Amino acid sequence: MPYKLSQMLDRELKKGSAELLILSLVEDQPRHGYDIGNLIERRSRGRLRFNVASLYPLLYRLERRGWIQGRWVEKAGQRRRRYYRLTAEGRKVLAAQRNSWQEFVEAINRITGIEHA
Amino acid sequence: MPDWKEEVRRRLARLNLEPAREAEIVEELAQHLDDVYERSLKAGLSEAEAKRAALKELADTELQREMRRSQKPASEAPVAGRGRTNVLADFLHDLRYAIRQQRKNPAFTIVAVITLALGIGANTAIFSVVNTILLQPLPYKDPERLVLVWEENAKQGYPTDTPTAANFGDWRDQNQLFEGMAAMAPDSFNLTGSGDPERLEGRRVSASFFPLLGVDPHIGRAFTAAEDQPNSGHVVLLSYGLWQRRFGGDAGVVGKTLNLNGAGYTVVGVMPPRFQFPTPDDEVWVPIAFTQEQAADRNSHYLKVLGRLKPGVTLAQAQAEMSTIATRLQQQYPKTNTDLGAVITPLHEQIVGDIKPALLILLGAVGLVLLIACANVANLLLARAAVRQKEIAVRVALGARRRRLIRQFLTESVLLSTLGGLVGLAIAYGGLVVLKSFIPENISQARAISIDYKVLGFTLLVSVATGLVFGLAPAIQAVRFNQIETLKEGGRDAATGGSGKRLRSLLVMAEVAISLVLLIGAGLLINSFLRLRNVDPGFRAENLLTMKIVLPEPKYEKWKMRSTFYSDLIQRVQSLPGVKSAAVTTNLPLYSQGNSIGVSIEGKPEPPPGQELIVTTRIISNGYLDTMSIPLLKGRQLTDQDTDNSQNVAVVSETMARRFWPGEEVVGKRVSIGKVRSQEDWIQVIGVAKDVRQFELNDDPKPQMYLTYRQFGFFDAQDLVVKTDVDPASMASAVRKAVWEIDKDQPISNIRTMETILAESIARQRFSMLLLAIFAGVALVLAAVGIYGVMSYSVAQRTHEIGIRMALGAQTMTVLKLAIGYGLKLVLAGIAIGLIAAFALTRVMSTLLFGVTATDPTTFALISLLLIAVAAIASYIPARRATRVNPIIALRYE
Repeated sequence: MPYKLSQMLDRELKKGSAELLILSLVEDQPRHGYDIGNLIERRSRGRLRFNVASLYPLLYRLERRGWIQGRWVEKAGQRRRRYYRLTAEGRKVLAAQRNSWQEFVEAINRITGIEHA
Repeated sequence: MPDWKEEVRRRLARLNLEPAREAEIVEELAQHLDDVYERSLKAGLSEAEAKRAALKELADTELQREMRRSQKPASEAPVAGRGRTNVLADFLHDLRYAIRQQRKNPAFTIVAVITLALGIGANTAIFSVVNTILLQPLPYKDPERLVLVWEENAKQGYPTDTPTAANFGDWRDQNQLFEGMAAMAPDSFNLTGSGDPERLEGRRVSASFFPLLGVDPHIGRAFTAAEDQPNSGHVVLLSYGLWQRRFGGDAGVVGKTLNLNGAGYTVVGVMPPRFQFPTPDDEVWVPIAFTQEQAADRNSHYLKVLGRLKPGVTLAQAQAEMSTIATRLQQQYPKTNTDLGAVITPLHEQIVGDIKPALLILLGAVGLVLLIACANVANLLLARAAVRQKEIAVRVALGARRRRLIRQFLTESVLLSTLGGLVGLAIAYGGLVVLKSFIPENISQARAISIDYKVLGFTLLVSVATGLVFGLAPAIQAVRFNQIETLKEGGRDAATGGSGKRLRSLLVMAEVAISLVLLIGAGLLINSFLRLRNVDPGFRAENLLTMKIVLPEPKYEKWKMRSTFYSDLIQRVQSLPGVKSAAVTTNLPLYSQGNSIGVSIEGKPEPPPGQELIVTTRIISNGYLDTMSIPLLKGRQLTDQDTDNSQNVAVVSETMARRFWPGEEVVGKRVSIGKVRSQEDWIQVIGVAKDVRQFELNDDPKPQMYLTYRQFGFFDAQDLVVKTDVDPASMASAVRKAVWEIDKDQPISNIRTMETILAESIARQRFSMLLLAIFAGVALVLAAVGIYGVMSYSVAQRTHEIGIRMALGAQTMTVLKLAIGYGLKLVLAGIAIGLIAAFALTRVMSTLLFGVTATDPTTFALISLLLIAVAAIASYIPARRATRVNPIIALRYE
């Protein structure tokens, strides 16, 4: 694959999946931005990485859509941080996105034959 | 730990975020960067590397792009409420919006810009004159330390008199606080030899003169102290202009010998271009080289003395020292120095002193014109703001902050004023060309007047300040209203009631008041000028041609030779066709004061020292009084029979007759010049002539005496006056030819008509009068436009009401009265305020006035009437229009 195409696809994939990643990470518990970025990097073993410039605008966008909600939380002895939690609306979206992602991955796999190799 | 907040804020600046929101984002992002930084440090990175890593997170362009997408701007309108972090972006935004607004409304823009351009242009033009003449330092080294030192003889009416050589010598030798003093005396030279004979103005100066000014010659050298001694050989310095004109800028001229006044002078140097002291008229300088006799002279007051103060010496200290020296000299030489003080004046003040009051008043006047222009534009903006109420109300409803709205309005007004400034600059540029031709020639810096960076800065400053001044009130007005009401009413007349109307009325009153002040000022000056022009100079200037013919001393050494030349000259000129008569005199009136001489009067006690009887004396040819049409009141004229073999005779002026022989028969009385030593010294008065204004039309005539050149040779006649039947200027070449028939080397200069001299003598007054009149005229027009504008607006607003009244049967007259009444009430209030202001302000111009007082009731009354008339017309036109309204249409207007 020519380099350019690969980079483009990479970006598109990341963008399409980024929402899903974030929604997933705040599903169980509210998390702050640094935590979210860190988890993505750690769990992907460094393959996926969001810098501030892409992570926060995304968070704000999700928040504006009403899928997540940010709240300033002050814990004893710490600076206040903005924690994002999933809203009811977000929960529905997450479920839907998970499904479609699942279908997408299965479709790809079926074509490329990875699973049944 | 680095302060990330600032970094983040800077990067978000262009996004126009709502401030509270921006603060949150900044805090959140900064925390993230803190964490990244700390993690990097723990991972073993250096502080600098950690910082880099953190900043990399912000990936500038991506951050802005993504943030913009994630953050919906608070409002698309440029007046979204925002914090102060983004002044520049706001400004550009506002500017674009302002430009759009102006394009939508070209008529408004043009009227506003022209109004402002007039005001700003006038200010720029006058400021560039003030800048050059008053503010620019003189072109000498440390010019602020240069002073002129005068004798002070206030008792005799000479508060600053030219000192004698002996006093100058004492001052120079006895002072401690001056670096040096130099004496100068005006002189003129006939340059002959190569090319046409030429008359050159020059100055005899001390050797220290050029070093004191701190100016070195362009080529060659200045005078040495040895050259400033009598009989040390003649040397001369040339002006750059003369060098170029006469010698083609040839550097070889240094060392050459020139023939000046029939003697050889060696050129030692050429002064730099643009060197002048104090006027550009001087073209040659020679050492003053006092002889012992001259240096001891305490009777002839003819020098000018230049001094340079030592560094740090104040004027007051120097003045105190000079006064001490003068007091000492008074005691030492009671005969000559009684009541004689010494006074110093800064050189700058000496040079610009005369025109300064006029310039400052003009500067004040153009300032007032600008204020009126501001008031006009403010009114226009107010009217427009009313139209834009609805737009503003919508914006406020959408969350725009009022402060932000005000800023938007101010951007618009500053845009207008800056445009006005640009056009004004063009007006000023054109105006200066005209202005320069009005500036009296004797203001030497006038030629240098130009628009430099200081003037440009001034214009910019004035433009911006203007925009803020006229924009602020309408801006505040525009956003101060009840938005609910406005929206409900459909935004038509939200700003018409209450404070909007009050503000407009105030502006009109202010305009009227200011114009009244200006008009009264101009009226007083015009009044003065007319009176000045109507002053009888004592002679008739029509059909008189004059020229300067100075006989060089070496060639015409003997008085007899000069006498023969004059007789020959007069005879030849009188025989020319077109010439009625011709005469010579030592000095022309209104051009030179003439020589003053102390006289004794037969049968009257010798006046005490310091109170000598001073008489302005002219030595003339017989026909002078007739040629000048100076009427003889008593006795007889000088005739050909009055020669050196007969009794010395004089014609005296009425003032001299009245002052020296009050109530007595004057003809037959005898005077003498100085003390009488023998019977031959007596001069018999044979006639009394009408007074002539000798130097200034606005000076009272001084005692004056006419003697004939056939009897007295101590002053040389220098001016030829020719009375013609035809246009005097057309006779110039014929007269010149007649002179050269007698002596082909004789220089002739200053060929002018007497009418020109008369006009030039009041050029300064004409200058101030014309300018102030122009500015007052502009003010009047602007005020009229302002009144008209407000009246039109108020009538338009009341169309509905007027329609109802008309429909109910109101007479045209009633409606007219109603409409005009409102305008006139404002105008009368403005005039009342203006009269009070004028009463206080015109006093500053009392020095410029002649024959009228600063509070001349006639002028005050006439100008007020003029303004009322103009205001009445300006209100009548829109009122008249209102009465023509068709009631049906007016009612439907709602």
